[in-house]
Amino acid sequence: MIRTRIAAAGALVLLAVAGCTDNPSSTTTSAPQAAATTPPAAAPVDTSCQPRKSLRPTGTLPTPGKMPAGSYMAEIQKKGRLVLGTSQDTLLFSSRNPFTGKVEGFDVEMGRQIAQAIFGDPDKIQIKVIAYDKRVPDAADGTVDLVADTMTINCARWKQVNFSTVYYDAGQRVLVSTDSKAKSINDLGGKKVCAANGSTSLENIAKVAAKPVPVGLAGFTDCLVAFQQNQVDAISTDDVILAGLAAQDPYAKVVGDRFTEEPYGMAMSNKHPEFTRFVNQVLAENQANGTWKATYDKWLGGQFGAAPKPPVAEYR
Amino acid sequence: MSTAQLDRPAPVAVDAPAVRRGALRRLGELRETSPGRLQLILAALLVIGLLTGLVAGLTANAAGAGTDDLGNRAQPLLVEAETIYSALADADTTAAQAFLAGGLEPPALTQRYDTDLDRATTALTSAARRTPEGGDTAAAIQQLASGTAQYAALVATARANNRQGLPVGSSYLSAASNLNRDTLLPQAQTLFRTAQNEVDGGYGDARSSWWVTLLVLLLAGLLLALVLAQRRLSRMTHRTFNVPLVAATVVTAILALGAGGILTAQRTHLHAADVNGSTPVALLAEARILALRERGDEALTLAAHGSGGAYEEDFQSVATRLDGANGLLDKAAAAVSGNAVDDVDDARVKHDDYVAVHKKVRELDDGGDYDGAVNLAIGADTSATFSAFTGDIGTALEDHKATFTDEIGAAGNGLGLLSVVGPLLALVICALAFAGIRTRLEEYR
Repeated sequence: MIRTRIAAAGALVLLAVAGCTDNPSSTTTSAPQAAATTPPAAAPVDTSCQPRKSLRPTGTLPTPGKMPAGSYMAEIQKKGRLVLGTSQDTLLFSSRNPFTGKVEGFDVEMGRQIAQAIFGDPDKIQIKVIAYDKRVPDAADGTVDLVADTMTINCARWKQVNFSTVYYDAGQRVLVSTDSKAKSINDLGGKKVCAANGSTSLENIAKVAAKPVPVGLAGFTDCLVAFQQNQVDAISTDDVILAGLAAQDPYAKVVGDRFTEEPYGMAMSNKHPEFTRFVNQVLAENQANGTWKATYDKWLGGQFGAAPKPPVAEYR
Repeated sequence: MSTAQLDRPAPVAVDAPAVRRGALRRLGELRETSPGRLQLILAALLVIGLLTGLVAGLTANAAGAGTDDLGNRAQPLLVEAETIYSALADADTTAAQAFLAGGLEPPALTQRYDTDLDRATTALTSAARRTPEGGDTAAAIQQLASGTAQYAALVATARANNRQGLPVGSSYLSAASNLNRDTLLPQAQTLFRTAQNEVDGGYGDARSSWWVTLLVLLLAGLLLALVLAQRRLSRMTHRTFNVPLVAATVVTAILALGAGGILTAQRTHLHAADVNGSTPVALLAEARILALRERGDEALTLAAHGSGGAYEEDFQSVATRLDGANGLLDKAAAAVSGNAVDDVDDARVKHDDYVAVHKKVRELDDGGDYDGAVNLAIGADTSATFSAFTGDIGTALEDHKATFTDEIGAAGNGLGLLSVVGPLLALVICALAFAGIRTRLEEYR
């Protein structure tokens, strides 16, 4: 997972300040994020919608391989593969298996289930690794058909892309070294706390009253590299991602309660509402027939124990 | 004799204020008498003769030192700079390929990476030895040395994590790759450019044009002075030849011919070393650097797994610089000679082959067959094509490096001899001139 990255520690802080991509004005431009971008702390919480509510599904799925003519699913079928945008460094959700070189995890499995519904073959999927700050623009302009990448559903993003119903409920916590006295993010005032650029986590760090210093890097595993090299004091993001990081470093621990709610959904272009309805139908059926639970057990069960009830789908 | 008597002026009383100018006046007075004029001529011949000897020695010395410096420091530094660059670039590509392969790194790639790092550090050590402390070059080498150590540490961490199946390993690898591409390679490139400038400067030093011009002027002046002195003497003494002065003239002519021959040969060999050595070596070295960058771009595009557009753009622009119209391969083909002509022609064909494979890799990846693209890119066939291509460039490079060494060795021939024999012959000339004129002077006693 070699992406263009800025490694200079000095530049990181600047990037962190500029790292808010949920601000619509910054996501619509392709120019590099300048320091002039509204700092995350100043961005008001967008409550203009009910983010968990997605488009109502059709009720039945077309037979795999026979997508209705004119639909976006038929286009994907013609193309021969579903292009899934994800990351390759989020252990458990979508990470590159160093032994096989394949990208796999809970998120990838979600994408494969959509491919299964379209083609009748989960392998007809092309994995495209995208940076966190590319998730919204790439889904919006159709660079990828679908993004499944620990992506929080929120109103700011709803303005540019369509989301599926919630397929996982996460919440933000904080990872510190085992000898740290911090019990939660509130004890990290003035400390450097890392998150991926373009993630809601980075914005949330800036909103914490104790005023930790947000540091933005390309991905969360890059945060772990910085953490292991003592360039940052902590990493803060969704509990499930932190669990994946902590599993790679016995000298790291996850502390504190969830201080945010991060409902995960799959993002796609809002030009094809029929595709969103199709995806929601697949999710609904898989939650009903136990596929969701089996997927949870396979990827997350080892870390988090027995599968909870799947998130309740809400529709408009 | 009678004329000499007549020329002699009546003694003049010296008044007190003129004492300051006494020495000058005495010199002026010398011109008024025949023995005085002879003494002046002798002094002029001795001064020009001794100066010629001194300058001959210094010229030979400067040209010799310049040639040695070029051959033993500047050019090897250039070659080492290229080694540092290509070893680091290859290490990065190899690490990225090992990462692409997945699982435990293939032993061949691990070994290649280790060899690369070894080559880079060895070249750094010997480049440091050739570089005086405190300059830009020394600073670049120092930064490269510490950066390479840091790079090796990051890759080692990446491997350790990879062995445990932890995805953070790939982040370490990408941190290492960034350090390599963003910091180390530009520094190596700077070192390469500096070395290239030093080679260009080295040719100037080896030619020592100012010294050579001065020597030519002095030799011409000495010959002219000897001829004029003899004409004057034959008029004054009514003898056609003054044997010692004739001998001095002959020795001067020999010195002029010898020095001329040695210095002309040196310049001819320097020119050959430049045209058949340094120029093709620099072009081929740069071609190899660009080739390795192509290969690295390809691996990094794949490793970026769909978001490597920037690397692919870089590949295209590098490929154009390498093999486009008036690209480096064009220039190298025009510059090489001998066996290397075939090598470069062959390299061109191999490069076309490689670019064709690369195109197929991109087609596979863009068409969704990532595994197929990776297998093709790091497969044995592609690796063999690429190695054959860089191998051809390497062979041509070695050929011309050998030419350079030969020519620079030949350029240094005779300069040591000239630096010793030149001053000795000048002393002989002075002694002969002294002997020839002294016999005439004695006649006035």
